[in-house]
Amino acid sequence: MRRLTRFEYNNTVAELKLDTSNQAVNLAAELDGNGFGNDADNQPVSDTTAAAYKQVAESIAAAVTAPDTLPKFLPCAANIAASAEVACVRGLVEGLLPQAYRRPLDAGEADEVVALFQSSRVASTFAKSVASVLEFTLQSPDFLYRPELGVPVAGRADLLRPTGAEMATRLSYFLWGTQPDDSLRAAAAAHALDTTDGVRNQATLMLADPKARKLVTFFFDNLLPISNLAQLERTGVAGFSSKLGAAMRQETETFLEHVIFDGEGTWPAALAADYTYVNEDLAKFYGIAGVTGSEFRKVSDLNHRRGLLTQAGMVAGPLASDKGNPVTRGGFIVKKLLCQNIPLPTGDIAALVKTPPADPTKTTRERFAAHSVNGACRGCHINMDPVGFAFENYDTIGQWRDTEQNLPIDASGDSPLVGKFNGPSEFAQRMAESPVAQACLASHWVNYAYGRKLPSAGSDACSVLSVQSKFKDSGYNVQKLLLSVAESDAFNYLPAVRE
Amino acid sequence: MLRGATGVAIALPWLEIMGHEKTASAQSVTTAKRYLTVFQPGGTVTFTDQNGTVPSDRFWPTGTSDAPVMNTINKPLAAIQKKLLFLQGLKMGPANTGEQHQEGIVGLLTGSKQLNGPDTYSGYASIDQVLSNRFATGPTPYTQPTLEMAVRWATGKSHGRLSAINSLNFAYEGKHSPIEPRIDPQQIFKMFANLTPDSSGARAIETARTKSVLDLLDKRYTKLAARLGAADKLKLQEHLDKIRKIELNLDTIVQGTSVCKAPTAVDTKGYNPSTGLQSSNDGSTVDTSTDALIPKVGQFMMDMMVMAMACDLTRVGTFQWTDTEAKHTFPWLNLNSHHHFYQHDGGFRPDECTKIDTWYAEQHAYLLQAMDKVDMGGHTLLDESVVFFGSELSHPGNHRKDNMPFILAGNGGGLKTGRHLKFPAGQRSSNDLLVAILNLFGDSRTSYGEPGFNHGALSLA
Repeated sequence: MRRLTRFEYNNTVAELKLDTSNQAVNLAAELDGNGFGNDADNQPVSDTTAAAYKQVAESIAAAVTAPDTLPKFLPCAANIAASAEVACVRGLVEGLLPQAYRRPLDAGEADEVVALFQSSRVASTFAKSVASVLEFTLQSPDFLYRPELGVPVAGRADLLRPTGAEMATRLSYFLWGTQPDDSLRAAAAAHALDTTDGVRNQATLMLADPKARKLVTFFFDNLLPISNLAQLERTGVAGFSSKLGAAMRQETETFLEHVIFDGEGTWPAALAADYTYVNEDLAKFYGIAGVTGSEFRKVSDLNHRRGLLTQAGMVAGPLASDKGNPVTRGGFIVKKLLCQNIPLPTGDIAALVKTPPADPTKTTRERFAAHSVNGACRGCHINMDPVGFAFENYDTIGQWRDTEQNLPIDASGDSPLVGKFNGPSEFAQRMAESPVAQACLASHWVNYAYGRKLPSAGSDACSVLSVQSKFKDSGYNVQKLLLSVAESDAFNYLPAVRE
Repeated sequence: MLRGATGVAIALPWLEIMGHEKTASAQSVTTAKRYLTVFQPGGTVTFTDQNGTVPSDRFWPTGTSDAPVMNTINKPLAAIQKKLLFLQGLKMGPANTGEQHQEGIVGLLTGSKQLNGPDTYSGYASIDQVLSNRFATGPTPYTQPTLEMAVRWATGKSHGRLSAINSLNFAYEGKHSPIEPRIDPQQIFKMFANLTPDSSGARAIETARTKSVLDLLDKRYTKLAARLGAADKLKLQEHLDKIRKIELNLDTIVQGTSVCKAPTAVDTKGYNPSTGLQSSNDGSTVDTSTDALIPKVGQFMMDMMVMAMACDLTRVGTFQWTDTEAKHTFPWLNLNSHHHFYQHDGGFRPDECTKIDTWYAEQHAYLLQAMDKVDMGGHTLLDESVVFFGSELSHPGNHRKDNMPFILAGNGGGLKTGRHLKFPAGQRSSNDLLVAILNLFGDSRTSYGEPGFNHGALSLA
């Protein structure tokens, strides 16, 4: 059973018209888990977690029920007569609770919350008593968690389908990162989500909503090293600023949104595109002529760049300060974009690890040579370093350089995973052609959608293979990937007997 | 609890009746009453080179075992050294089977290795949780069963999230159960709200209102849990458990006394406790405003930890300085790279690390002296406590975990201080220390954590 993440909590309380001030930052930190913080097996609850939910609920309730905001949130509360209070609050509860619980109410559920208002009202003000209702709602298990009771499946005693409301919840948190809206609730009530085809059709409609773009951007902000670009510290390197870092992040976000929603649609296209999106500052940085103004627009006149991996933010993001490090660059690609598990060094090997000292007579590649020479290092580093070396023509802020310390740069290599290449553009091409890279992206989306960290046990494995296979058949189209996740068995069913 | 006509509760003085005391020995010492862990990242300075081959001990005392003389880093502790016990030569049981830094923090209070390698937690509870459970048989009198605080937490790769990089406390045996520390000083300060008089009765009314919300939540969690499968039911039951504890604590109103009073509020504007959310793996994201306030916020939080103990709001605490990444700067020391850089990212820098570690010793001296100023009725707060000061490794240059920089403080349970004990290298472990600490509290077990790392309790009392 999953719990709302901070991202989801913020979006949800905004949909409920309760708060838009990012209160969830005060909630307990999520465990790293599957990289998106939403895997159900990694959502423990401690005293601090519970205390934080309470604090945030009280904070939001206090803000909503403040004298100037309460009448806007609850019109019948304006100058309310004592005799009208219960009816007003009943209206609030009957409107808010089904949305917050994400399902129609059972008998008595509205009554007990109205009764809570009334018991508070004995000694507290009207506003404080309304706050009780909101504090309760935002801490209730039906709001914070996503329980799924399901309905039986004909002929399959081992399976259940999520109810319409539960499927609407699955879909809306998967594709929009928030609670269902009116249209999705209506579809659930009309039984449109009772079949896998119906789910797929609904998902298709949902991908056309702007909320899907926001969710996809969130996904990539977590997967790729781009969310901190504005804060990179590159004091030793001329030409970088916080503003430029923010623009680099926006470049990658805008580019991916375009490719996936408006352009070719495929992951290989993202990996090997001959265009990107820039504003004036970035265009100057890249040496692209004829771009003025702060809006981002498409440019194809790229020099030394090809695809997502060569964008400045992507090559600067994985790096420590203003020192180059092919291991972290290569490591990011190999671990996150090729899904290889490369453990950190331990024991005696860990004792050998030290940063190669600066050397004006050697390129970075030469300084890191020990990794490919030393038997203890090579086994793991043969996967990472060649990839990192492919990007050595980009300095620590992602700027192209022909030489390093006036020495020629050798960006050729041979990756056991994707093959031979010479330079970053060729490497990007290898990635675009690599079935491993495509399957890896699919598995990250599956992790995200299912709230799991793969490999997962049991029946999910078949769904994952099916999704990866359909991804391939579609030419690696990302929207179609999301649809095949939505129509997969693991998304459409749950086991009848939970342990 | 006595309730007056106005509904205000008056706390009775806590009686030493709970039967946790060891039978009195000839020295007739009290069983230790309070436990505090203080975590400092990045070990200490005992070498000058990255690989730890050129000795230069700036940490361990000189002098004799019964008359130690403070070394460079620990000079700030000289004023309180009669209450200190230096323990030299202990190794961390699990050394380098997980990730070098993570394993040190995950193992420090659990005596265990990372359950499944890097990025995973401990399969054992941390000893502070064990002690807290010990104190909690019967209706729990303490507002906070345990109080974990952290200053400038979750830097670097943990990005503001709970992870094996920054977890010191683990609640349960057998499964991953890291506990996130409280990091917002203003929120922690609210714990002392009850210490100002409720003359109008308004607070009592608010408390009653909050309780009614929690009561309905209790009903709801119970009802929903009953409909779910076993694993999901457990999740809700755990959550409900925490809610119930919150409700129980609302009933506990601590009487202000001459030693127990709300600490002075401190304006911490400019300190963003959640700044870790914007951190980058390499520490290149610098929040100078927050970093500059670390000394002020650290002192405020230490004051609150001391007062929480003095007010008996808790008996078990953890005070964590940042985390094992420690990717923040030290503007007040004129150190503008982050701690990890000086540990090894930029090559081990003994002088900068000495500066940092000395500053941490100053903070520890402040904390211990503050504890020693609180009169708990004929003895000080420090007298009845055991404070364990440690780090996740000894030499940061190459993550060594032998000769760990461990200092105990306080005389709880008859801990004999004013000494420097040296154990032959490689023979005794941190587990042996954890067991000894447990024994000071009347827990008579003979091993803790990973069985293979135990050699029997150190003899400390």
